Amino acid sequence: MDTFATLIDALFSPLWTPVLVGALIALLAFTQRWLADQPLSCSTGFANLAGYLRPGTTREPQGDWRIVFLLGIVLGGLIAALTDGAPAWQGTAAEFGRFYTALVPESTVGSAIWWLVGGLLIGLGARLAGGCTSGHTIAGVAMGAPASLVASAVFFAVAVGTAQLAAWMLGV
Amino acid sequence: MINRRNLLFLAFGTGFGFLLSRAGATSPAIISDLLLFEDLRLLWVIATAVAVGAALTWIAWRLGWHARNTGKPISIPHKPFKRGLIVGAVLFGLGWAGTGVCPGTALAMIGEGKGFALWVGAGIVVGSGAGTWINRRLDQN
Repeated sequence: MDTFATLIDALFSPLWTPVLVGALIALLAFTQRWLADQPLSCSTGFANLAGYLRPGTTREPQGDWRIVFLLGIVLGGLIAALTDGAPAWQGTAAEFGRFYTALVPESTVGSAIWWLVGGLLIGLGARLAGGCTSGHTIAGVAMGAPASLVASAVFFAVAVGTAQLAAWMLGV
Repeated sequence: MINRRNLLFLAFGTGFGFLLSRAGATSPAIISDLLLFEDLRLLWVIATAVAVGAALTWIAWRLGWHARNTGKPISIPHKPFKRGLIVGAVLFGLGWAGTGVCPGTALAMIGEGKGFALWVGAGIVVGSGAGTWINRRLDQN
């Protein structure tokens, strides 16, 4: 009974042991390859979505599953937030952490532009690189793809370098 | 449209979004902890996901496991070296560091009710559209 209670508590805790989550993500991604022969992929779905939203383009239903997958991620985030026993997101400085609180502009308009431009860089970069942290890093590197190894190394080097430099300049 | 494939991928997406959240990957504070080397929990998540994924890939290849839908050995597709790979990866790294968000986590964050992620998500959609257009131009030359 105690074991059961511990398991239930663990299920509802907001953060799981890193090694456990990592292994579960790998298992899920592999199940996808086993059942559908399709490696994990996020940013390509965004490209399909962008294509659909453009007026005058005809939708190709065989790519629908990519967008359904993206919808699933939203649903998964919702379920996770409803079952973590933590208060709902308020967008406070503590929730964003020291670094992003100092980095992102404070005003409503300024921060909206910041997030939008950040998203633009992410979407544009992922398309030019042919994948993101899902397709290149989690799926591609696990499959030993050289292009994915290079892309992932650059993702991390640039992100770490930028964040470290910005933190140093902001003095946080 | 509702069919088996779409329902399957809805389930995969739901699982992935849930796990991204439990990993802490949907928290900007935890992302900045990773990038500033203050708390490496996400590094262990990623490293384990890659290591277990690589082991499963190797076992499946070695034992010749077949995919359920095709009946053929599970494929191991390698993404190509795109012409814009390095430039794209640099831009992605900048956006990731600037926001603490990536395409998968943006969606999970929207589900969690993190309003700012809607802006990031909108940016990703527009950026992806622009990137697709540029890729097409690069491929033509």
